[in-house]
Amino acid sequence: MSAQTHIVIIGSGSAGSEAALTIRRRDPECRITQITGSKLLFISRYELPRVFNGVSGWRELLAYPPEFYDKNRITVRRNSWVNRVDAKNKEVLLKHKEEISYDKLLVASGGGGYLPEGLREFRPLMNSFGSYEDAVKIREALPKKGHVIMLGGDMTGLDLARTLVGVGHRVTLVASEQLFWPHEVTDDQRVKFVTVLEDMGIKVELDKKVVAVKQGTKGKPARRVVFDDGGGIDGDAVMPFCGLMPSLDFMIGADVDIERGLLVNPELKTTNDSIWAVGDVCQIWSPEENNYLFYYGWHYIKEMGKIAAINMTGGKKTISTHKDDQLFINKKGEIDSPYWKHK
Amino acid sequence: MARAQKKSTDIQIAICGSAGDGTIAAGDILKRAMAKAGYKVIAFDVYPPEIRGFGKCISRVRISSEQTYSLKPLSDVLISLDDSHAIPHVVEVRDFGAVIYEDTPVSMVPEGAHISGHLLLTHLPYGVPFRELSEQVTSSARSRNIAAVGYLAGLYGMPRDVFYGVISDKFSAKPASLTQINIQAFDAAFEVGRDTFRLDEGHLNPPPSNARNGDLMMMSGNGAIVRGCMDAGLDAFFGYPITPATTIMERLASELPVKGKTMLQTEDEISAISATIGAGYAGVRAATATSGPGFALMSEMMGLGAMAEVPAVIFVSQRGGPSTGMPTQTEQSDLNIAVFGSAGDSQRVVLAPTNVEGCYKCAGKAFEIAERYQTPVIVLLDLYLSNRYEAVELPAKNPFKENCSKPVGKLKKDQTYHRFEITKDFISPRAIPGDKGYRHVVTGLEHDEKGRPRDQTHQKMSQKRHEKLLSVPRLPNINMSKRFGDKGKVDVAIIGWGSTFGEILEAMIVARTEGIRCAAMKVVLLSPLPLEPINALLNDSREVLVPELNYEGQFANMLTGATGRSVTRLNRVPGTPMHVQDILDEIRRLAGKKPGKAKGRKRLAAE
Repeated sequence: MSAQTHIVIIGSGSAGSEAALTIRRRDPECRITQITGSKLLFISRYELPRVFNGVSGWRELLAYPPEFYDKNRITVRRNSWVNRVDAKNKEVLLKHKEEISYDKLLVASGGGGYLPEGLREFRPLMNSFGSYEDAVKIREALPKKGHVIMLGGDMTGLDLARTLVGVGHRVTLVASEQLFWPHEVTDDQRVKFVTVLEDMGIKVELDKKVVAVKQGTKGKPARRVVFDDGGGIDGDAVMPFCGLMPSLDFMIGADVDIERGLLVNPELKTTNDSIWAVGDVCQIWSPEENNYLFYYGWHYIKEMGKIAAINMTGGKKTISTHKDDQLFINKKGEIDSPYWKHK
Repeated sequence: MARAQKKSTDIQIAICGSAGDGTIAAGDILKRAMAKAGYKVIAFDVYPPEIRGFGKCISRVRISSEQTYSLKPLSDVLISLDDSHAIPHVVEVRDFGAVIYEDTPVSMVPEGAHISGHLLLTHLPYGVPFRELSEQVTSSARSRNIAAVGYLAGLYGMPRDVFYGVISDKFSAKPASLTQINIQAFDAAFEVGRDTFRLDEGHLNPPPSNARNGDLMMMSGNGAIVRGCMDAGLDAFFGYPITPATTIMERLASELPVKGKTMLQTEDEISAISATIGAGYAGVRAATATSGPGFALMSEMMGLGAMAEVPAVIFVSQRGGPSTGMPTQTEQSDLNIAVFGSAGDSQRVVLAPTNVEGCYKCAGKAFEIAERYQTPVIVLLDLYLSNRYEAVELPAKNPFKENCSKPVGKLKKDQTYHRFEITKDFISPRAIPGDKGYRHVVTGLEHDEKGRPRDQTHQKMSQKRHEKLLSVPRLPNINMSKRFGDKGKVDVAIIGWGSTFGEILEAMIVARTEGIRCAAMKVVLLSPLPLEPINALLNDSREVLVPELNYEGQFANMLTGATGRSVTRLNRVPGTPMHVQDILDEIRRLAGKKPGKAKGRKRLAAE
């Protein structure tokens, strides 16, 4: 590639960061710009539970120090939100009305927490868990031996739940169909894994339908979750963990095919020759399944970043679309998942 | 944030915009509110020489719980009201400091034109819709500067009420609705700031419990000069506008006439000094104010003042020179002309305050000295000091004396009054024209004791004019010099004058924490020099450093000439205040320690 080539990466998470580094290794001359809505440099979501384990500031959690980006000449545009992508003119239009031109674009914007429609009106009363700021807000909202009510029960939530229980908080999980997401478990496995969760100190409410989240009354904890049977439970915070939803609104009208995610081939290229996509935002064509599938977990995500970078810099490599990640019970008798493995 | 925070406060905020954005007004509200809340405040505004709508304005405000003496080289927070001007100042924000900017510009901007693309990776970005916030509550974007202050106040938990008072005062001369509109804009942005999760490492703790809320006044150097003049009973002021001295005349124009006193804008600086000396001759307290180019025009009349022994006070606020030079940049390069400028041996007194409180004291004392010694007194300021704001507490009781002239005695029969009588202290009893029986003549020609032109008296009259000033360094109730830091023998002494002394003091404090034995001396009386304390310090010091904002080392030359001691010079003429780091590095070098390295700050954004 020429020295003038400008590669823009939307997103600064695991996939985007891995892609940026791989691109720099393969092309010392090109210009690399990462655009992220975060005010901070990349902090892995797997590191966020550490906020409850004695981490006092965000600097301890950074995946890479500022010098890393400096050394690799990677520009990171933080606190910058993409409004839309003009594929025809190869421009990314930011919310603050700046136009960034690109030669090649990698979309690695990840996914935001999914919230079932019936719960969306209660979002202001819930705490999300996608950023350092979210983690600190939860930490500060919880009194000693606080009580967190989790809705859903995806693997990100369960990771946090085991941490919270470990530091002395109580967790009640109001399970939904997203329990153990993105793992797919049979009914038998589900019963077994729920038993293990309770052995780990996480209380699980099965077969309860949440109809409302309310502000706690005076003298009671800050929140109350109301069930369809009229009952309910009180807690200090309510957190939804119902899986992820691809963050791709800004790609509508960008000359790429979209189903639930951005559709890409095993080389991770979209239907536009200048645009690639990686991570939780994309569905990859699986020849085995004859379908477009989402692939989750740190290992997949990082691999996607690397392969997209290779292909964007003149290489040709496809990603393995074979899936064999299983939820399991480890030697300590606790549930464990390949999705929790990272470094 | 939950991070453990220090109990003391030391945060510096820079607000940068274009002329017409309300940048200086925003800084003014911030500094006044913080002083009112009980913090120590130092502030300095930089504005362009051009007319409204062009050029860059920066207001820097340092807020602290402990006394500080200068601005910090790096700010903790930068607020951009105009990215094109603020972008070059991003590198002046410290690591893990905050950059606050408009995130909804009116129109599309090309790549690289938005400040968010220029932040260092160690900066924390806060994009705020200032314009929209202002428009939502006021139907106009004109209050976006107030919205910026409101956001800042909310973000750092500043007390909201003090801002209401300051905003009300600021717009008190305008329709009440304007005050209301601006308070609404402040409130709207305050709430946004309060709800923002703060990630930067600046912090503002409540002021110390012993802070004297409300007693501290925010005052600029020029403002303090005016206060000192008024408290000293200034009767007449004559001036011609020139940056950065103009505000002295502007303020006196609104204060003197209401007290039945005289303020006259003359046709030029020659007229201004002539009228000042004329008024002084007539027996009233009179002053003028100017800057380097104007003072150059005044130099001939300075000689008349010295020769005719007429009291006069001249405030000279220095800027970059020579000639028209740099009207809105600071410098300390008029020392030579202040001390020596005029024909012949033209003795005079030169005072140079080092801070805003010193401006007040020197202004008032200058009138006492001018009267007592019957000679022109120059008070040497500079743009940095004239425009710098500090929270000061002025004495409750007026400290200045009304009449300091040496009175004439009762004449014996057939005795005639000798206006220039040589007495034991070389100061002659002074009569005012019109005093019955004390008829006399004054002239620019050399003269005898009666005032009659006589070349033959030149030797003894020169001695008179010289010797009478030798007691000035020993005058009570004003520090003509002051030593700080270690007592006894030191490795390094730093001697300074004028506004640079704040930076000197900060550097010395840091050097002492590093184990360097050092002392600093401010010299307020620059002519005649207070040689006794200066020599005492020189004798205590292995190395002597003289930092000053001129190219040639004018004060260093004076010191060497007067004491015979060679000194190390540190001279800078950037148009901006001296950097503490530069002084500190030089102290370390002289003390035999390795020069401190400024933190490497490579820019990554906007390649």
